[in-house]
Amino acid sequence: MERKGRLGFVPARYGEGVVGGAEAVLREMAHGLAQRGWEVDVLTTCARDHFTWANEFDPGVEEIADSVTLRRFPTVISTDRAERAAFNAAINAGSPLRMTEQERWMNDDLRLPELFHYLLDASDSYRALVFAPYLFWPAFACGQVAPDRTILMPCLHDEPEAHLDIFHPLFSGSRGLWFLSDPERDLAESIHPRLADFEVIGSGLDVPERYDPEGFRARHGIEGPFVMYAGRREGGKNWDGMLDAFARAVVNADLPLSMVTMGHGAVDAPPEIADRVIDLGYVSESERNDAYAAASAYIQPSAFESFSRTMMEAWLAGTLVIAAGTSAVNRWHAERSGAGLVYDDDDEFEECLRFVAEAPEAAAAIAAPGREYVLEHYTWPPVLDAVERTIDRWMPWS
Amino acid sequence: MRILMVSPYPPGRDGLAQYAVQEVKRLRAQGHDVEVLSPGPSAAHHHLDLVGVRGALALARRVGAYDRVIVQYHPTIFFGDRSTPAERTRVYAALAVAFRISGNVEMRIHEFPHAGAETRAESLAARQMWTAVDRITVHTPRERGEFTAAFGIGVDRVQIADHGEHFEKRTNLDRSAARERLGLPVDGFLFLSIGFLQPHKGFDRSVRAFAGLGDHGCRLEIVGSLRVEDAEYIAYVDELRAAVAATPGANLREQYVSDSEFDVWIVAADALVLPYRLIWSSGVCERAALYHRPVIASRVGGLADQVVGDALLVNDDRELAVAMRSVAGLASDVRISGNWPEGDRDAIMAEIRARAARRSTVGARVSVGSPRGSATRSAATAPLRRLRPLAMPESRSARPGASSMKRAIRRLTAWQIDPIIGQVNRLQQATMEAMSEPKAPGESGSAAPPR
Repeated sequence: MERKGRLGFVPARYGEGVVGGAEAVLREMAHGLAQRGWEVDVLTTCARDHFTWANEFDPGVEEIADSVTLRRFPTVISTDRAERAAFNAAINAGSPLRMTEQERWMNDDLRLPELFHYLLDASDSYRALVFAPYLFWPAFACGQVAPDRTILMPCLHDEPEAHLDIFHPLFSGSRGLWFLSDPERDLAESIHPRLADFEVIGSGLDVPERYDPEGFRARHGIEGPFVMYAGRREGGKNWDGMLDAFARAVVNADLPLSMVTMGHGAVDAPPEIADRVIDLGYVSESERNDAYAAASAYIQPSAFESFSRTMMEAWLAGTLVIAAGTSAVNRWHAERSGAGLVYDDDDEFEECLRFVAEAPEAAAAIAAPGREYVLEHYTWPPVLDAVERTIDRWMPWS
Repeated sequence: MRILMVSPYPPGRDGLAQYAVQEVKRLRAQGHDVEVLSPGPSAAHHHLDLVGVRGALALARRVGAYDRVIVQYHPTIFFGDRSTPAERTRVYAALAVAFRISGNVEMRIHEFPHAGAETRAESLAARQMWTAVDRITVHTPRERGEFTAAFGIGVDRVQIADHGEHFEKRTNLDRSAARERLGLPVDGFLFLSIGFLQPHKGFDRSVRAFAGLGDHGCRLEIVGSLRVEDAEYIAYVDELRAAVAATPGANLREQYVSDSEFDVWIVAADALVLPYRLIWSSGVCERAALYHRPVIASRVGGLADQVVGDALLVNDDRELAVAMRSVAGLASDVRISGNWPEGDRDAIMAEIRARAARRSTVGARVSVGSPRGSATRSAATAPLRRLRPLAMPESRSARPGASSMKRAIRRLTAWQIDPIIGQVNRLQQATMEAMSEPKAPGESGSAAPPR
């Protein structure tokens, strides 16, 4: 394997305070490859938040850890995005949009003209350009500038937007696709008539050296059993729906469980459980890992998962996962590892919580194989090996 | 040099946007500071609604900041869909102001009907605008001739630019690898018609001309998507689907393909078939030339001037069929070459009917090698096939002012007349198709009894 040529990683967001699975995977992958001796650039926006896309970081070029070059480009939002909102409503209602309407939907949002033109000028200087996730303008528009050098890591979910025709060229025209799980690949094959070359590479995680669950409880004054949610607290992740179901379950069944949450987005707990929901906001990775270890279970309520890093993080900490079966990825991991419970409605969710509250030792026993599952499949060395193999195959050095 | 490019722009996927971004790339590579202004939000640095006088004046406020302005000109960028001569007069005048402010404007004229002006005031305003432009380019001599005639501009003011001068390859695959990428058989002669599925692209003609070639191991792939979803275009695609379904070896792939995949298709092909009914210059022709793929194209618009090298120009469907057979190495095919099959009168008549069917609008339904009953049905539809599709007469006249008057009447009555024409043609088509349907055994009718 010749580690020659520059690699460009293009996440929609990058940096301190950015919450998102795709962004985390690209960040760790970029730095992992840099540590292996690759020249690596990160090309990204100045935004931290994927709703406002406000330019919170300064544009420009800087060298960061592992000799990675970070190039930031300002986002541009030049409309009130009312047309996009109207199209979003139509998409979510299942109404078909014409191709020209899909293009207007895509363009009535953040745009990155400076990144687009940087790639127009400089794409030839990269051996590979890696874009993720598929849904936003940076990957959609910039990922088609140099398709022969483009690897798309779609992070595809079965969301209404995924079925828009406008994305076909990205999935069929890129040089290669990296999928994070078998169900994600299956979904892509079901949506797009013909895919570019692809590989299921999975995703890696850094394995914490130690956990400090008692320290976590002490630092935050948390007593008693609790379940946990980490990540983006928004409708797309079914945060509100899960919180309502949690409220009904713990009230109906009189369960002694609290909810500890961390990440980005408003919490808005129902009044009857407001005192049981502990919002820690944005915390460090080590603090988050300690929280996993202290929790009785981790809740994954999202139907839109392409990999679910948080499930892996929970299993690494030896914690049971309770996951929504609406996601094929959640179900696949839970069944394959044997370390997760899956619920398909509120009643099943309540029973899962009841099990955790009433039989914590049995819950821990179920969770036990989870750590081995992650260590076997999802640590960085084998994932980076697969990444390098595909780069060598799709973009041989010449 | 600081340059402003005014154009539709990616990620929009129309031809103008693709042309513009390739020119921007080249200019930036030459060291110019290029910014792009598009009519709507895009990857351009700026966007502005350029329609109407307000749009033209807004453009006028911007152009002074640049050393040079390049406009990828198409009238829809500046004029509303149903603009009146008075409105166009005002817009021309406002654009003339904008271009004079700039002092260094280049217009790249892309295909559009060069109807000229309808009133004397519009004519004067249009000429004023074109005079304010420093350089005008078109892609073919024919376009230059029609454009200069329409607007009364000296031929020496309009230069011809190679349509493909900024084009670059988007794939390095060879033919075998391209076919493998696309899941196509490595062997066999492959014809390709690619582009948006629209009546004026004439891909239905490819299907008809291809009839019978599937028996020789050839394939015809039609690749594209519906971009304009009005009733006429949707009906056209429906008809195209039916024709393809009835033609062995032909495939319709309704796909929205990426730029690179577009090129992969071209590389995979042995020849491109572009039987356009209306076109001024073709980006597909240029991309085919990049990969040295032969093109069979109709002799319309400026294509005769544009296509070079391995290009065959045809005047009608019969020539198209002959050209396809020739390119596929089947020129000695007895059904096409002029050598008639040996046999009795029935065999000769069958051949005559088969050849006629290939020239007709339903030829695809009756392949050369079909059972005899098909040829008999072909005969039954012959009177209908010989009727040319109904179309409006040309609105041109040698008499002064008559052309303008005819065009005005045409515009005023189009909303009533066009649907009727469309319906008549669809009725003709449907009738022929109905008469060509195979009869069930024992069903009475004009089909010859099986032997």
